[in-house]
Amino acid sequence: MGVTILTQFPTENRTGPQTIDVLSKRIMALGAVQQGQFLVDCETYTSVPQLGPQRTVHVLHNSEQPATVFSLLETGSKTIPLATDGLFDLLMMKMSSFYTSKKQTKAESKGPRYEIGDFCVKLGTVTVSSNFKGILVEVEYKPCVVPAMCWDLLKEFLQGFLGLSGPTNPPTYLQNRMQEIYSPIDTIHQYLEHFTLFRKSPGIGMRP
Amino acid sequence: MERDLEQLNSALNSVKILRSNVRRVFESVSNGLRADHGDDGKESKYILELQELLTTVNNNLRDVENSMSNLTPPPGPFSLGNTTYLSQETTQERQALYGQLVNTYKWTDKIREYSALAGNILAANSFNKTYKTFSTTKRRKTQTSNHNVPPEVIENLITSIDRLFPDVTITTNSPFVPNPVIQGRVLKAIIAFKGLMIEWVVVKAHAESNDLWTESRYKVFRKVTENCHAAMCHFYSPMMPELAVRSFLHWFHSYNTLFSAPCKRCANHLHNNLPPTWRDLRNLEPYHEECK
Repeated sequence: MGVTILTQFPTENRTGPQTIDVLSKRIMALGAVQQGQFLVDCETYTSVPQLGPQRTVHVLHNSEQPATVFSLLETGSKTIPLATDGLFDLLMMKMSSFYTSKKQTKAESKGPRYEIGDFCVKLGTVTVSSNFKGILVEVEYKPCVVPAMCWDLLKEFLQGFLGLSGPTNPPTYLQNRMQEIYSPIDTIHQYLEHFTLFRKSPGIGMRP
Repeated sequence: MERDLEQLNSALNSVKILRSNVRRVFESVSNGLRADHGDDGKESKYILELQELLTTVNNNLRDVENSMSNLTPPPGPFSLGNTTYLSQETTQERQALYGQLVNTYKWTDKIREYSALAGNILAANSFNKTYKTFSTTKRRKTQTSNHNVPPEVIENLITSIDRLFPDVTITTNSPFVPNPVIQGRVLKAIIAFKGLMIEWVVVKAHAESNDLWTESRYKVFRKVTENCHAAMCHFYSPMMPELAVRSFLHWFHSYNTLFSAPCKRCANHLHNNLPPTWRDLRNLEPYHEECK
């Protein structure tokens, strides 16, 4: 597990599949090899009014960690992350009388997964309740675990591959955590940040 | 020496003459009276002949005794300890062994003699090409064996190096084989020591196992491992093993900027999707494999 940077790629006036096509051609030209598909999904549950002040639980799955269910509990003042095994999904079903999910908020990002050297590149098409919202590009540099050390290197890689659309600053979530050891839950935080933005945006998502 | 040989030769010669004359005596005794002694007084003739022969033998014997007394007796049997028993060996193919052994011994003895002479001559005319001079204290240090040092010495060395670099931790976790593990935030290295010398280095990612025998699954660390082996050979110095270990680890410490420092030549981070994996051996500057 290395440092992962998640960034949105503007579709401009192309459709989603066209954009994915453009990006996959670019990455293949750089010498990447496709290694299957990936999927990150997010479902949001809100507490019923009887439980007091409203709390939100985001339950996420990442195909990179297939045996783990990540959940983030938002209490309003803070966010509590939790990594559990697959049984957590069943537990949420049992608690459906306390936490209800709105089906139209189910967000997911899926698409091809590429490997190039020690990098892993994922080109995700984001849909919120099966409406296309935008493109998320995930780049992981697997050997390094401290974001501050490899940020410049990742920025160079992203700019080489996304051109001017590449990020110039680290993701907001990572900015306070640049010196800490990176873990999979940090990737989940970044996905949730983007999914929340996509849900709020009408129609096709814009670059934040 | 020359005189001895001459005397030995003459002695041998006189022995030979004595033997041939004794032989003639026995010949004439065995033949008895012959036709050429004539008819009258043949017995007295025969006795005369025999007498003559015996006188010659007598003279010869005196010669032998004379030449014998001139010879200097050899300095006793040439003994090589228990190996003398080899000369009593009964099997045919081994009978020659003792002779060869004695020859070899003499040969090595001569070599020693000559080399001592050569050494004396060469020491008088020194022809050093290098300016390197070792002081006597350093020379004494080299006498100690670097292959077989007590584990405490190695552990002391490692802890002293650990104190040099506060941002990495060096631990020796195996009690019998001190393979220190260097753990920083960038990478992890497992080093195998043989005595005070570095025998093997493996570089791995932060989260990978401490196994010495499997290489890292990441390309960048495999490349760094390769470069470490080159540096290990570069810094290898059996004369001053502690210095070698120290300078190797000093060089290795420069990898704490493996992901953050751009290449000194092309000023980029990535080349072939790898960061600069080479560090210059002198000034520790980062370079790509292709840029160095």
